[in-house]
Amino acid sequence: MSRSKSLAVKYLAAAVLLFGVMTLAGLASAVYYINPDFLFGFVPFNVAKILHIDTMIIWLLMGFMGAVYWFLPEEFGCEPAGIWAAEILFWVFVAAVLAVAAIFVFVQWGPGTETTLWLFQQGRKYVEAPRWAAIGVALVMLVFAWNVVGTALKARRITGVMAVMSVNMVPLVLLYLIAFPKIDNMAVDLYWWWWLVHLWVEATWEILIGCIMALAMMKLLGTSRRIVEGWLYVEVALVLGTGILGLGHHYFWIGTPDYWLGIGGFFSALEPLPLLGMVVHAVYDAGVHRMKTSNQPAFYWTLAEAFGNFLGGGVFGFMITLPQLNLFAHGTQWTVSHGHFAFWGAYACGVLSVCYIALQEQRRLVTVNGSGWVWAFVLLNGGLIGMVGSLLVAGMAQAFFERAIGGSTLEAFIAGQENPWFMLGMYSRFGFGLMFAAGYLTLAWNLSALGRRQVAAVPQPMPAE
Amino acid sequence: MPFDDPAFWRAGAISTTVVMSIVLAMLTIDSLEAIAPGGSHVPPYTVINRHIDYAHNAKLGRDMPTIGQDEPLFGRAVEAPEAAALIERGKLVIQSRACIDCHTFMGNGAYYGPDLTKAWLDPAWEAWAAITGAESREEAMVRFLMAPDQYATWQRRMPNLGISRDEAVATVAYLKWLASIDTNGFPIHFGRIKVSE
Amino acid sequence: MSPVVFLVTSSLLGFMVLAAGAYALLYGAARFRESYALLIAAGFAYAMLALDAAGIVLATPLTPPWKLLIAASALAYFAIPPLTWRALQYAHREEGTHL
Repeated sequence: MSRSKSLAVKYLAAAVLLFGVMTLAGLASAVYYINPDFLFGFVPFNVAKILHIDTMIIWLLMGFMGAVYWFLPEEFGCEPAGIWAAEILFWVFVAAVLAVAAIFVFVQWGPGTETTLWLFQQGRKYVEAPRWAAIGVALVMLVFAWNVVGTALKARRITGVMAVMSVNMVPLVLLYLIAFPKIDNMAVDLYWWWWLVHLWVEATWEILIGCIMALAMMKLLGTSRRIVEGWLYVEVALVLGTGILGLGHHYFWIGTPDYWLGIGGFFSALEPLPLLGMVVHAVYDAGVHRMKTSNQPAFYWTLAEAFGNFLGGGVFGFMITLPQLNLFAHGTQWTVSHGHFAFWGAYACGVLSVCYIALQEQRRLVTVNGSGWVWAFVLLNGGLIGMVGSLLVAGMAQAFFERAIGGSTLEAFIAGQENPWFMLGMYSRFGFGLMFAAGYLTLAWNLSALGRRQVAAVPQPMPAE
Repeated sequence: MPFDDPAFWRAGAISTTVVMSIVLAMLTIDSLEAIAPGGSHVPPYTVINRHIDYAHNAKLGRDMPTIGQDEPLFGRAVEAPEAAALIERGKLVIQSRACIDCHTFMGNGAYYGPDLTKAWLDPAWEAWAAITGAESREEAMVRFLMAPDQYATWQRRMPNLGISRDEAVATVAYLKWLASIDTNGFPIHFGRIKVSE
Repeated sequence: MSPVVFLVTSSLLGFMVLAAGAYALLYGAARFRESYALLIAAGFAYAMLALDAAGIVLATPLTPPWKLLIAASALAYFAIPPLTWRALQYAHREEGTHL
């Protein structure tokens, strides 16, 4: 196996481990809602929350990188440029993640000085990691970009998919730099922070996973490069055509002028349109292949990606995206419900699909099947759907009692949080969270044990055109 | 047929991205002007010397902040540089304690604690003045922030985050300034409707 | 907007996209199985969508521009599945896998 693919396996393994940490921290966060005394005085809610959301970002990022390192040698027919640097930085990345997690759990906070931001905590959602660690992540991104772009230059050829990925590396690196500054004015801070969260995570990541899924489709379904590249360009046009100004739906209430209500509402209302096309595409692929490929889990996870994206982004997003309604639902568990479903559909399912594709080749399996992955698939998706359904009930109760009836004060907030419908949602979320955790354990076991007892031929990789 | 040619869609993707990016850049320039301190939507930091309220504007059809008479924080008016220093310190406290991972600011953050956008205006502080033995809203807020675990709030308690008096004062100044920002009517109905028992 | 009307409007919007998904799913299934019954089911799903959109336009307090957008979306939702299907068939014509 090439050095790039070995590195890919390491990244994918680290991603799956961090997926477990994310799940555990998510379960802990859910416990605080039903037992507020949980770990009180030892680990406050925000620490569990930070671990939950930051590991989500990192495991998905590591999953994307693993996927790219997996496909790179096949796309260019050679080892990536600067692979040695990527190999070193993998261990630096892992060490930094462990150190930051230890700081969050054991140090938790520091005095209100710049030193705290450098050493312990930046206190901005999703990018809480101290600046020293953020520098490390920026360095990893930079080397990742070098690996991709440098390999194209080294090979003196480029494919359409890799051209899109290479161009996407520029905003991927640049937008991450917003993780560093401390901006006193909260309105300005949130303005740029949404560039990081929306344009980095929801635009450059969308393009990156689009490229990864294009490569996966060629491998998994044998789709021709011409078709895949055509669809990738359509996706880029639609994602960035609606997504760049769709950023506006985050600018409704942060102090920005009210023209964002119209712009953000309009462009985000368009977002279900391409997702509907994606559903039709998934049905077409499933029909053509009669739901059978040589790698059933990878195929099912790509289908889950299409449907999850549609339901989480399209259906759950459309409920709360128009400003007149978002005024009630913004910043409630309703948003949480949409966020969980959309992230799961848009990214997590795709990364899990690539994990199975890589394992098939690494372990030389002609086919990937069995019942383990089915259990993992059902438990994870069932748990996730149960969780987002529960959060939807809680969010509706919160928006109704706290905002629409109560008046958004502390007293109204408490009335909403203590409402039986809200609490029902919280208990139910925890129950489905356990189901999801069981799914994770099954997945981890399945990924580690898959094909260990089988001896099979190596599937032929698709040659680059 | 051009629709079948990937080059057609590549050109479409590039042109769409370029056009949208240019529009975003133009809107960003305008928005940053509006949200700079002293801009059309964000008062200067010295607004902490004034009375701040939140009222329904019938003409605009939404709630918005109103700036009233002099009402300096802790009874002492501050000049612009001191106000800016307080805001800078307050933001550092908010980031160093990761407040946004329990609370929301303008609805962004975590949902375990209440939204803090209009926390300065919350009617609950009147009761908290009595509970903390403070004579003013700002003093009640400072005492609570310094030792939140000593006061029974409700089932969910805020942990003690080692906030010093200076830090608490800066945080209160920050929250007062924050309440003066025009957030297009968010949060809705704030404090105007009582929760029925 | 009253509390109940807010919840109802939001739910109608979510249901509209959900019905669009059901329509797309059933339309695709009907085409590759060449099933008339599934095509009728797809039509039924779209009828639900249209009814839902009509409810949003006629009975909710959304402002007129948003209602116009909802009506236009409902029409676009009708066209997307057949157009996408045709594009897919055309794109895959040389692979011998088109349906």
